[in-house]
Amino acid sequence: MSKPALYYATLSPPSRAVLLTAKAIGLELELRPINLLKGEHLTPEFVKMNPQHTIPTLIDGDANITDSHAICAYLVGKYGGAAHESLYPKDLVQRANVDARLHLDSGHLFARLRFLYEPVLYNGSTDCSIDKIAYVQKCYEILEGYLADRTYLCGNELTIADFCCVATVTSGNDVALIDEFKFPKVNAWLKKMAELPYYKDTNEEGAEELKALFKAKLAENRSK
Amino acid sequence: MGKLSIYGLEASPPTRACLLTLKALDLPFDWVKVNLMAGEHLLPEYLEKNPQHTVPVLEDDEVCIWDSHAIMPYLVGKYATTDALYPKDHHQRAIVDQRLHYDSGPMFIGTLLSLTKPLLFKGATVIEQSNIDAIADVYDVVETLIGDNEYIAGADLTIADFSFVTTICSLMVFLEPDPSKYPKIVAWLERLRQLPYYEEANGVGAAHFESMIKSKNFTIESN
Repeated sequence: MSKPALYYATLSPPSRAVLLTAKAIGLELELRPINLLKGEHLTPEFVKMNPQHTIPTLIDGDANITDSHAICAYLVGKYGGAAHESLYPKDLVQRANVDARLHLDSGHLFARLRFLYEPVLYNGSTDCSIDKIAYVQKCYEILEGYLADRTYLCGNELTIADFCCVATVTSGNDVALIDEFKFPKVNAWLKKMAELPYYKDTNEEGAEELKALFKAKLAENRSK
Repeated sequence: MGKLSIYGLEASPPTRACLLTLKALDLPFDWVKVNLMAGEHLLPEYLEKNPQHTVPVLEDDEVCIWDSHAIMPYLVGKYATTDALYPKDHHQRAIVDQRLHYDSGPMFIGTLLSLTKPLLFKGATVIEQSNIDAIADVYDVVETLIGDNEYIAGADLTIADFSFVTTICSLMVFLEPDPSKYPKIVAWLERLRQLPYYEEANGVGAAHFESMIKSKNFTIESN
């Protein structure tokens, strides 16, 4: 049986969330890198496969799945087995808690990061306003609240919500700084996530790459 | 079964998505109105239920669940007699999940709230044409997502339809989907309107939302 194939980019936070999940459950993926800046997601072949031309996209036999949160849940459900069930618990109340945090990422964390980054990365914008930064930082308050009495975002066990949120948060924290006095729990959570053996290769490098790219693009746009 | 209560605002699309689900599952529930405009979501009693102070919240006996996209799967998982509204098949479920996240991100928060927040909560009287154009972009995506299917996530009704119809009914107040450009969306909307519980669970609240927005007498400006 062939491995599931993942169209991804190390720059892309949602791609890294899927890669973290695959590592956590010990699943090997066939990796197919896509260069967004070169528009490789806009080729006729890619658009045919995914009309919304987003990454990550997972192809697993007949299944064609988009959206990192859906992919992470799919991978744990199909390939995680009993050993990794806690990453996306079957208990309905616990699962609802993870789902709520996954939607916190899609609706707030990632949405606000995109709002800050995309005009600069793709549209030549010079806008890195205090408002946009503060808008991202408002999310840290929400995260700090959830982490008040627990190690991870949904309790004392790691879940796919941690993977999705950490990929997003670590992709913007150069510009939207996470004050260590205001957000001690968020900082502690980031340290804990960085302890995962696969974290450096799977998330840290890509996150640093994206942050450096944003700064470079902003400077380039401003020099015009 | 537990005592179910839904806390929310009828005008709020995610609240209505949960109402549609509760009705579809024929579940008895209490409906507790939370007046966002009066800040009732920020009161200590509400914060105890949901520290993120959003609507809706589902209370199932002692348990509180929030985010409509988490509430709906919970209700189907716990109370439905079949998995039709939220399929257990991994692939089918992933398609529904992707739709739900599209609602969370680009559609509801990205497009609708960026219009309504300034109007309803910040006293704005002008909205930008670019925000209206963004709705057309959403309609382009939704038209593609429907494809050759009858419903948003495939051949059958799912909770993804409930998220989409409630958000899109509210987007329509700003921009009606042109039937010549979006025939699938228009046909799908008509299909959803045939649900016996549609008017009570969505129609009424969508009308409230519309009158709230229209009462703001806003103008649209190109930038």
